[in-house]
Amino acid sequence: MTLLRTGSAIGASAQDLKPRANDPIVAPVQTISSMTSKICAPPLRQQWPLWWKLSLAAALFLVLILAVAIGWLFYAGVGVWGIDWPVVWGFALINYVWWIAIASGGTFISALFYLAEAEWRSALNRIAETITIFAAACAAIYPILHLGRPWLFYWLFPYPNVMGVWPQFRSPLLWDFAAILTYVISSILFWYFGLVPDLATMRDKADAPHKRRFYGVLALGFRGSDDAWRYYRVGYGLLAAVMAPLVISVHSIVGLDFAGAATLGWHSTEFPPFFVFGALLSGFAMVMLVAVPMRRLLGLEDFITGRHFDILGKLLLTSSLCVAYACLMEAFTTFYGPDAAGKRLFIDKVTGELAPIYWATIVFNVLAPQSMWRQSVRLNETLVVLVSLLVIAGMWCERYVIVVMSLRRTHLPSAWGDYTPTIWDWLTLFGTVGLFIAGFLIAIRLLPAVSMYEMREIILRRARRNR
Amino acid sequence: MPQVKAQWRSLEELAQDSQFLLRVEQEFPGLAAALAAPRDRRQALSLMAAALALAGAGLGGCDGAPEGHLIPAVRPPPGIVPGMPDYYSSAHVEGGYAEGTVVKHFMGRPIKVEGNPFQPASLGATSPMAQAELLNFYDPSRSWGVTRAKLPRSRSALEQALAEQRARLASTRGAGFVILTGASTSPTLAAQLDALRKTYPQIGWLHWEPIGRENVRKGVLLAYGARLEMKPQIQNADVILAIDSDLLSAAPGHLFFAREFAARRNPTRAKMNRLYAIEAAPSLTGAVADERFIAGPREIHRVLQALASALLGAPPAEAPPWLGGIVSDLKSNRGRSFIHLGPDHPPEAHALVFAMNEALGGRGAVYALVDDPAHVSSDDALSLAALVADMRAGRVSSLLIIDSNPAYAAPGVLDFAEALAQLEFSLCLSPTPNETTEASLWAVPMIHPWEGWSDARAFDGTASVMQPQALPLYKGVEPHELVGLLLRPDPPKSLDLVRQTWKDKLGAADAWTDALAKGVIPNSASSVSNRALSNAAARVQLPEPPKAGVVLLFRPDPYLVDGRYADNAWLQELPRPLTRISWGNPLQISPRRASEMSLESGDVVRIAIDGLHMTTPIVVAPGQSDDCVVALLGFGRRHAGPVGQNVGVDFFKLTGRSCGAPDIQKTGAKEELASAQHRATMSDGWGVYARNGTIAQFLNDPNFARRNEEPQPTFYEWKPEGPAAWGMSIDLNACIGCGACVVACQAENNIPVVGKAEVLREREMHWLRIDRYYEGPPESPKTNFQPVLCMHCEEAPCETVCPVGATMHDAEGLNVMVYNRCIGTRFCSNNCPYKVRRFNYFDFAGEERRAIESRNPEVTVRARGVMEKCTFCLQRIAAARIVADRDGEKASAVTTACEAACPTRAFTFGDLAAKASEVAARRAGPLSYTLLADQNTKPRVTYEARVFNVDEAKEPQQ
Repeated sequence: MTLLRTGSAIGASAQDLKPRANDPIVAPVQTISSMTSKICAPPLRQQWPLWWKLSLAAALFLVLILAVAIGWLFYAGVGVWGIDWPVVWGFALINYVWWIAIASGGTFISALFYLAEAEWRSALNRIAETITIFAAACAAIYPILHLGRPWLFYWLFPYPNVMGVWPQFRSPLLWDFAAILTYVISSILFWYFGLVPDLATMRDKADAPHKRRFYGVLALGFRGSDDAWRYYRVGYGLLAAVMAPLVISVHSIVGLDFAGAATLGWHSTEFPPFFVFGALLSGFAMVMLVAVPMRRLLGLEDFITGRHFDILGKLLLTSSLCVAYACLMEAFTTFYGPDAAGKRLFIDKVTGELAPIYWATIVFNVLAPQSMWRQSVRLNETLVVLVSLLVIAGMWCERYVIVVMSLRRTHLPSAWGDYTPTIWDWLTLFGTVGLFIAGFLIAIRLLPAVSMYEMREIILRRARRNR
Repeated sequence: MPQVKAQWRSLEELAQDSQFLLRVEQEFPGLAAALAAPRDRRQALSLMAAALALAGAGLGGCDGAPEGHLIPAVRPPPGIVPGMPDYYSSAHVEGGYAEGTVVKHFMGRPIKVEGNPFQPASLGATSPMAQAELLNFYDPSRSWGVTRAKLPRSRSALEQALAEQRARLASTRGAGFVILTGASTSPTLAAQLDALRKTYPQIGWLHWEPIGRENVRKGVLLAYGARLEMKPQIQNADVILAIDSDLLSAAPGHLFFAREFAARRNPTRAKMNRLYAIEAAPSLTGAVADERFIAGPREIHRVLQALASALLGAPPAEAPPWLGGIVSDLKSNRGRSFIHLGPDHPPEAHALVFAMNEALGGRGAVYALVDDPAHVSSDDALSLAALVADMRAGRVSSLLIIDSNPAYAAPGVLDFAEALAQLEFSLCLSPTPNETTEASLWAVPMIHPWEGWSDARAFDGTASVMQPQALPLYKGVEPHELVGLLLRPDPPKSLDLVRQTWKDKLGAADAWTDALAKGVIPNSASSVSNRALSNAAARVQLPEPPKAGVVLLFRPDPYLVDGRYADNAWLQELPRPLTRISWGNPLQISPRRASEMSLESGDVVRIAIDGLHMTTPIVVAPGQSDDCVVALLGFGRRHAGPVGQNVGVDFFKLTGRSCGAPDIQKTGAKEELASAQHRATMSDGWGVYARNGTIAQFLNDPNFARRNEEPQPTFYEWKPEGPAAWGMSIDLNACIGCGACVVACQAENNIPVVGKAEVLREREMHWLRIDRYYEGPPESPKTNFQPVLCMHCEEAPCETVCPVGATMHDAEGLNVMVYNRCIGTRFCSNNCPYKVRRFNYFDFAGEERRAIESRNPEVTVRARGVMEKCTFCLQRIAAARIVADRDGEKASAVTTACEAACPTRAFTFGDLAAKASEVAARRAGPLSYTLLADQNTKPRVTYEARVFNVDEAKEPQQ
């Protein structure tokens, strides 16, 4: 494989590239200049290897499918999906919640651990935030596709209009609309703001005039003066302080989309924290899933080390335990409460026709991450990828359970129904996966995959310590 | 052009046809010469363009415009106020019997059918079929042109052919000529036929119905020696025994019987009657019975014998143990008890039951015998089988078929279509293309009953004049005109014929207009007969029951009847009351038989009888006897409109054969059944939805059905503002599950039909559904019906979750939908505990094959992507408000479409704020309860729990 590994300072065998327990945050051989040239090199390269071109082509093909699926949806109506009379919400809501949850990992790692001054985040935050913005973008299209009359989505805005009507502020969907909009806009801002000093570095490193112009415009004239740095730090800190609570609020409100309804199986006070737990679990899983190939393909072994895997594995385990707690509480409150219909629904969930999906969520989200108790598993790239994939699939099933299983067993048995997704449901789901991958691949092609200015600080601090 | 089958490649080819040229010559002198002359391309093109322009210019094609006014009047006729409806009386005729209707018009367009309160077979209610007549009237697939051997012919050609027939009739004195019609009570048609016989003494006619009541007629003849019609007066009956009965679902006058039956079902308002049902296949009568017993054909034979022995002193017979209680109940209520036997039983059984009823002393009180209003066939010996034999033997050479479809519905063993093909002359007059028009020499489009004058009688003989509701939409021929053409070339107009028939009663102009306005002819009911029972009736021997272990029973589909309504999408999509299945007629098999053969609903079986076989899906029918399988007739039409063609299975093919046991084999294939209750078995094991109890429970505690009714605290408190507070009470004691309300709602509110594929995807649009719950073992369950519509909750959960405020409350407590504002998030439907909201997943209304003129102009037609639901017929409330505003009063008298159509008055709608209103009284009654009260939605719709009048002193039943 022609990797983008330009002059690895270690230059050692594959064995040495494996994450190890006692890895430091940055490999000791890396200096500021070696780190900078190593991270700048891939975006500045003229030609990217075949693996990148092939994956981008595949991803773009999926995007094309997405465009066709959306076109057909707009032309024919939401009836092309499998939603029906009792189950009026289907894949659109499942996928929306799934993607927005995946987006959470980036924000959590970037913002919360920035405020907590965790050094290890610097190697991962760029990747994690890039995941966030593309996952959030995938999530954000679903609520609009979901509408029966999508061209009227802007009626959710409280804007002055000749009709003299406002949105209905008691609806959780309106809160959700506001929360998502805030989240998407702030995530993009946060991501871009964090890029500015690195874009300036790229401008200075770029060898061709058009590249210099490209990065120069994006760098917004950042020159690294003391003033610039002072204001930049304040601004970044403020943004991080805004982002950290947002990740909690947005998922709580997504939870309220369900809990705010009187619908059987949704009407539960535990939903907002449950959704935050679930979001963190899938967010961390996605960061791990992406970090492993990125590390190898972009030659970032010196920056994403065993230490990172160790920490991410522990985070995954912790959030999985939170999810397990939520699952237990769901069962407990159902049977503690007086609602017979709720009990009936729960029993159907765990023993009925769709019980395999429920148990898949338990196995994938609760049991599989328990392997992370062992350090050897946390450091094993193959197992990490496997567990992350299981968790991401499990979280999708979890949303299927919440959306579909609750709706198909409502209060009145006469209104019980079933749900069968159509090909268009699946194509839209795969299409957004393609959109996510394509977006990510283009981002790493153009932008430095690791935050260089933060790495410099780490290396500098290490040098000072060693002195 | 459904009737045109022969094709030609060029006009020239057609021009070689000498007959064609001859006909053209008659109509367009000089054209033949023009066609024959050589033409260049330019000339040909200009001719074609002119032809196209001419063809497009008039919708009537070459047949000319109908007589009368076609151009909308600039100055409308007096009485028409734009935007205000007009009402004209009419009648829905089915199996010959009239059900009075009133047709609502907007600007001259019929848009809704209501019942006629003055007409005894309606009393203001309608059947689903009468409601759906509107769709038949506007059906775009109606026939529109005369054809001979499937090629278009002009009307003059038809008249010529009939002139030939006249000549033949005159020379043969009518021999070999038969007119076949459905059963008829029309005095005008009767007079015409009698006049025909005077001129042509040997002409024959046959009134034939595929699913007839011949057994009942012959039974009366056996018992009384005269042609009489039984008229039950259920209101006076304390104990009713219904054996395989269709008293509440299909018998002529069933709406009247249902009304009287239901009037004594709610113990808070009247002394309850008691209904016992003994039946092989589940029916509406069985579902509403207090006690229902399952007996297969052989067991019912024993039951009848045992009843005869107990009531008529016949030799003792072995009887099931439960019969003793029924017999003693019947006997102890002498004079107030009544037995009704279904039309599938042989005439001898009917004669016995007539004798039993006489013995129970109810004549004059619980039933009367009146003169049969139906017209008789020309010859008592003439039956369809005899006719087919005559056709085969050449004794009949000409057949005129009026509004009947024997090529489809005749017993399969007769092979009517093949016999029809042998005739020299056959003509079928039918409003829609069907199997018989396909097989006849001549196919003539018939007018819809709303397009011409006629008359008909109700089950008790009360006559109605049927007046045209609109100018003919298609160029059709009136049946009276066609029969008239057999006598003379210029027959009198139908109006004159009808006036002639009634000149004694309605001679005066006032009497005539009054009769039209009221929809009934005063004092036209058949007289009550005092004829005594013949002595032999009590000693009639029952024919031997079928020997086979399992018998194939044929029953009419409750909505398509004998297939005549197969083209009606409303009726196709109306879920059958018990199976909840639409768009299909799976074979019904009892749960035990099904599990023995390891069959489940949707499995396809191969059914063979007498060497004839077909495949059909099955459905497990709880409460059906193990000794029978039931096939519903009326499906599987081979030549029908696009709605009805090839939907379901045609079981007529198997009819008329021996009663040998059908051989049923599992094929392993599966077919999806379009059920509106999507989970196959639907039990209310928790007993909390359709609540019910026994009369003893009720007497012990009248409030037995109330649970958790007290309101709980709420976050968004809403206070009724008024002036009115609209609400509804639904009496589950009255609901018989007939489905009339569902079709009435569909017609009133422009609710689209979605088709089988979308029903399978659970996207049906009915605003009002009738939930069916079973209680108890599947072999013999209790059946409960529960109409569910928008509850108009005071604390409506749907309203708080809509992000754009598209559903909200008005001051009078209506939960209203603002269609224009809806963006289709569907959150409201999620949050509705009753799941009464329906979503337009596609442009269902736009995709309907339905004339735009047929829609109710007062109700918005909903677009794609919009949520909709019951509005309590807001348009009717608004109309009442306008009238009330004008008169300075408060709107009070509003009748919703479902309430108006309901034969049993299960629905009561009104103003809860008016303490004297009926709905307020019903809501305050002890049986009243709220559905899902624990959801704290404070619904404006409440139910009255059902009470079973079972005698618990007797030992427990099977």
